[in-house]
Amino acid sequence: MQNDNALIQQLKNKDERALSVLYDKYSGAIYGVIIKMIRDEGKAQNILQDTFMTVWDKAESYDVDKGRFYTWVYRIAKNKTLNVLRKTDPLIQTDDFSVHINKEDAISIDAEYLELNGAVKKLEDHHKEAIELVYFKGLTHREAHKEMDVPLGTFKSYVRQALKQVRETYTKTLSLILLILNAL
Amino acid sequence: MDKKTLLENGILEQYLLGELNADQCTQIEKMLVSDAELKAHFDELEEAFETIGLENAVTPPALVKSKLLKDIKTQESPKVVTLKKTNNTKFYFGIAASVAGLLMIGSFWMYSQLNDVKEQLQIVEMNNTELNSTIEVLNVKLKENNASFNAIVNPDTEQYILKGNASLPEAKVVSYVNHKSKSVIINTERLPELDAEHDYQMWADVEGVMIDMGVISKDKTIMTMAYIDDAESLNITIEPAGGNDHPTVERLVTNVYLR
Repeated sequence: MQNDNALIQQLKNKDERALSVLYDKYSGAIYGVIIKMIRDEGKAQNILQDTFMTVWDKAESYDVDKGRFYTWVYRIAKNKTLNVLRKTDPLIQTDDFSVHINKEDAISIDAEYLELNGAVKKLEDHHKEAIELVYFKGLTHREAHKEMDVPLGTFKSYVRQALKQVRETYTKTLSLILLILNAL
Repeated sequence: MDKKTLLENGILEQYLLGELNADQCTQIEKMLVSDAELKAHFDELEEAFETIGLENAVTPPALVKSKLLKDIKTQESPKVVTLKKTNNTKFYFGIAASVAGLLMIGSFWMYSQLNDVKEQLQIVEMNNTELNSTIEVLNVKLKENNASFNAIVNPDTEQYILKGNASLPEAKVVSYVNHKSKSVIINTERLPELDAEHDYQMWADVEGVMIDMGVISKDKTIMTMAYIDDAESLNITIEPAGGNDHPTVERLVTNVYLR
């Protein structure tokens, strides 16, 4: 974090090296989100470039006190991807997500890109799906609970629990590493 | 919105994912600043989402990065320069446009003024010519009148009155004859008007021969006629328009003997 803050300050001062370092650090995660959302490599690459272009242009408006740099970039990328999706298929704007789902099947893409990894992978199915819908498909909570066909409150608790478990797995791994480091 | 609602209703998650509107965002951002516990919780959420993101990263092709850095360079350098340039050119364009505008308005004004002046000048010139011609006419008339007046009031001038004969009883012509200066002036005021095909003509009788003194003008009442030496009488006849070489004696309208 401390490292990030220094880089972000340099980014605000239009330091290209800072952009390069931050890109190397976050472009993979952001690209992962975009490609899962849009399911088209060419479009995903354009959106990724566009996202970091915006990061460069609008760096001044990013406020460290309001949240992590990653969260900020994630929101930019998500909005851009949703805009492209809306332009490509006007039906996306409606509440009929079957269109969204059907469309996904039509596009051939390396299945590897769509697979979930890490802590999310170990979650129970309904928790995994909840995270996938809001985080990797860009649905709102209101859209996602209809998609899963559960009440909004239930859906919200799915998300909350899923995040809790991810955090726990993460801290476990972290403490394990710390233990090993200590043991050494 | 209180802290409990925020924590239990998944609103922080929605805020994180960018699902809320601007008003709600501002509200939550205020609460995050003022509440350290809330901020800590939000930080945990962010960390979890970031972890998920990093764990599911897909490495983008290197091409994207090189394109990005290239675009930034090409966007950056002209951006600064052109911004300044356009500002400057805009500024100068503005000045130039204002000056041109003023010049144009000025020219239009001058042009319309010039046209007005030209028109006025034309009118003045016309008036001037009119006046000049009037003056000329008046001068000529004045000269004639002076001459006639001088001739008439001259003590050597003698007055002879030609009264109309039986064929034209209403006619009366007054003639002023000066034998010294050899001039004849007549007043034809009382001579009845003739049609366009006829004129009055005056003759002097010298030893039985009628000598032409001139055709009497239709548009003058006072006029000078030719003085003939040794005239015994003055005669007026009606002749074809423009006058005749020899008098038509049958159409003699008046005559007077000179003494």
